[in-house]
This record gives sequence, structure tokens and C-alpha cells, in this order.
Amino acid sequence: MERDRITTELLRIFRTLFEIETPGLDEDLREVYEFDSIDAIELLREIEVMLDTVLTRAEKEAAMEIRTLGQIVDYIQHLAARRAGPGRARP
Amino acid sequence: MTRRVVITGWGAVTPIGLDAAGLRRHLTEGISGVRRMRDDDLLAEHIHCKVFGTVSQAPDYGFRRRDTKTMGPVAFYACQTAKEALAASGLDGAFIRSGRLGVAFGSTHGSPTVQRHIYRTFFSDDRQKLASVGAVDYLKSMVHTTAVNITKMFGITGRVIASSTACTTGSQAIGFGYEAVKYGLQDAMLCGGADEYDTTTVAVFDNLLACSTAFNDTPHLTPRPFDQRRDGLVVGEGAGALILEELDHARRRGAPILGEVAGFACTNNGGDLILPSPEGIVQCLRAALENARLAPQDVDLVSAHATGTKMGDVIEAQAIGRVYGDGPAVTGLKSYMGHTMGSCGAIETILVLLMMADGFIAPTLHLAQIDPRCATIRHVTGLREAPVRVAAVQNFAFGGVNTCLFLRRWEG
Repeated sequence: MERDRITTELLRIFRTLFEIETPGLDEDLREVYEFDSIDAIELLREIEVMLDTVLTRAEKEAAMEIRTLGQIVDYIQHLAARRAGPGRARP
Repeated sequence: MTRRVVITGWGAVTPIGLDAAGLRRHLTEGISGVRRMRDDDLLAEHIHCKVFGTVSQAPDYGFRRRDTKTMGPVAFYACQTAKEALAASGLDGAFIRSGRLGVAFGSTHGSPTVQRHIYRTFFSDDRQKLASVGAVDYLKSMVHTTAVNITKMFGITGRVIASSTACTTGSQAIGFGYEAVKYGLQDAMLCGGADEYDTTTVAVFDNLLACSTAFNDTPHLTPRPFDQRRDGLVVGEGAGALILEELDHARRRGAPILGEVAGFACTNNGGDLILPSPEGIVQCLRAALENARLAPQDVDLVSAHATGTKMGDVIEAQAIGRVYGDGPAVTGLKSYMGHTMGSCGAIETILVLLMMADGFIAPTLHLAQIDPRCATIRHVTGLREAPVRVAAVQNFAFGGVNTCLFLRRWEG
């Protein structure tokens, strides 16, 4: 999945779901926008819809270390690549 | 050791107003807050009753997103009234967070709006189903959502009591809060109840043939407690919150004292879960009198539960007659806004405080022709100027739960 497309979609989600307008790629979402664990779980649900997949528990737990929008983009790219990889069946 | 408990603030979201001026105007001018029911794409078109006690003016919430993300509509109402009650009481932030303030607050069943969203997601075939139920959906919909969203918003760290006994939810919350302060478990309690716009509740009563249906084209003329033409209750929405505080604590900080909670009783009929019980009601009213150390002749006003159902009003009127004779004035405040369910006990307590403060008694609306079976008590059929020193607020619920609160005017 292209990085720009992911970023655009994430900005839409942040604006509509979390009322956070144009967060910087390197801003700490927790410190700057009070983005907490409840928000993170809501975002994971949106990512599942975005990728049309179901995340594993390990994948969800890995997301709990994420702090910035840039890291979320990396995370989604990684998930998309794993699911597109040769011989990988979609869960 | 027991302590005296006073009321030092309140907040209200009701079909007849959001503040003292609005409530007073509706009560003194006899204006109803019952409206035509809105379509909800689910139940409304199948329900025979087409009226609802509606909050038609949205409160100015001003809440932050960090708070609202765990709130359904019922928690918005609850937190709004809590915010107003705390502001009116003048309690400072240090006390609010000290652990000496608790919360007793409830609703009939959390947020039905959010519960519907969950079920729609669950049964839908679209890709959203992948996501199942969101983490916050439970926090928004759970039965104690009002109480804990209040604790979160204001940083309250004392005890939490989340009553959920349908129509006695709000009065139980006040009663249990009163007991917590009276017996020294907390120095103050934020008490109340809330329920949001919900047609599920209407459908329940509609199926039991307990809803008003004869006034669908004239919503402002129903419900009609104690009246010959009454044909059932009208479900409503709203919230009420009160700050109950230990008397000396309130005096020391120079708080506005709006009235005293003089006593409380809660009983159960020990039998049928729907039909009101004359014996159960009488037992509750007498237990509350004893708890408040009052004689029947001490009571000036009874705010009756008075939903406007065929049998409920008769049983309540006869129970009042057995306990009080024709002594106190009796009014049915649901005639102004319908039955606001989990919030009715709190809202009716607030309305009684207003009448105590201003020295008037609002009549039961639409009581044009008293049902002879309800006629042994002293109904208020017109606006009356009268001092109210002691008043009872009584509420009864599905499940056979009865409550009675006694309020005393604050004389300084």
C-alpha cells in the first residue's frame, strides 16, 4: 500500500473519529493530543477495515508501542506487505 | 452517630427546561414538554403510543473529547447535570478529588442508542462487521456508564453506587447517597439519574397496554394522572443531579443550602414484578416517615409517582389516603413531562425544591375530572401559593421496588 494513500486515509480518520486535525508525522500523539489506549484500540479497528483483514493479537500488542503518526504509517505498510507476501494466506 | 444531610446544588436536563427559570415557567404556566415521537427507523412506527417527553433544547455541553469518547447520550445528560450541580454547590476541585465525595447515579439500562449500534453491527453483513464491537461501545452502553463517566470527568475518587432499578433509579441514588453521608461514609455525594431518548422503553410499556395512545395528535394533553380520561403513561427523557452534603461541612464553607433530606425508605413488594402493591407502598411511606421522624400531619406536600396508568394511580392514591388521610396536598409532576424513567426521582426532587424555595405548589396538569377511586386525597388542580415545609417524593418501579424521600425546607 502506498505511503501517501495510507497517510491521507489516517488523516481522515484522525479528523473524523478523534477530532485531531492534521497531526505532524513525528508528534507524540499521547502527549500532544491525549491519544490514549482506548483511542488506539479504536484505531486498530479502523485499520482492520482499511486493510480488509483481521489483526492477530500479537499484531495488536505490537501497536501499543506506537507513539506517532509516522510510526502508524510504518505499521500499516508492514501489515499490508505481510498480507501481500508470497504464500501468505489472509487470516 | 448520624449526621444531617443538606442539598447544596442541582442540575437538570428535562423536557420542561434546563434551568430554574425554565422549570419554574413551565410549572407555573402549566406548559407540557410532551411532544410527538420521532421516527427512529426501528420501533417507532410499530408502537401504538406516538408521544414522548422530549428534551427539545440541547444543553450547551462544552465537554472535551477526552471525556466524550466513553460517553453515550445518557452520559452526556448525566455529566451535564453533574457539572451544573457541582458548579452550583461551589465545592472546590481539591474536595471533589479528595475521596470524600462519592457518586450515586444511575440509568434504566445504560445507553440504548449505543446498544442498538452494537446490535446493528453484529447483525450486519457489511465489512464493518469485521471490527465487531468497539472497546468504547461497552463503556458507553454499560449500566453504570453515567456514574463512572461522572467520576472520570471530574476526578471523583470516592465510592460509586450505580443504582439501576428502572423508575426508582434516581430516587434510590438520592436515598443511598443520603445514607452514605448520614452515616459518615462520605462527606458529600453527587446523586441522580438519567435516561436518554429511547423507544425500546416505550415498546415495553406499549406491549403491556400501559402507554397513552388516545392523545397522539395532542401530545401536550397527556399523561393525565388521577384524571378520568387518563389512558396510560408517556415515556420521557432527561436527567437530574443533586449534591448532598453533611450539614456542618456545608455551613463551614458557606455553601448555599437549598433544603434538607430528612429521611428515606426503600422497600420491595416481595411478589409481583409489575403490579403495584397497596401494602408495599403503604409500608414504604410509613417506613420513610419513621426514618425521618415525622408524623403524617407534618407533611405539607406529596409528589406522587402518578404515571397516569389506569390502576397505578388508583393504588397510589388509596395508599396515600391510608397513610395521610386528606392532609397533604398531592401533585403529579409527570403530567408536565411524562415519565423520565431513571431520572424521574431526581427531577421531581429538584422540582419540589423549587416549589419549596418559591412557596408555590404546581398542580397536576390535565386533572379536569378526578377519578372517584382517586378522590380521597387532596389533589392540587390549580396553581397554589403555599408554604411547603416538608414534602415527600415517592417513586415505584418494575420489580416491586418502592422508594420515598422526605425533604425539609431549609430555614437557616
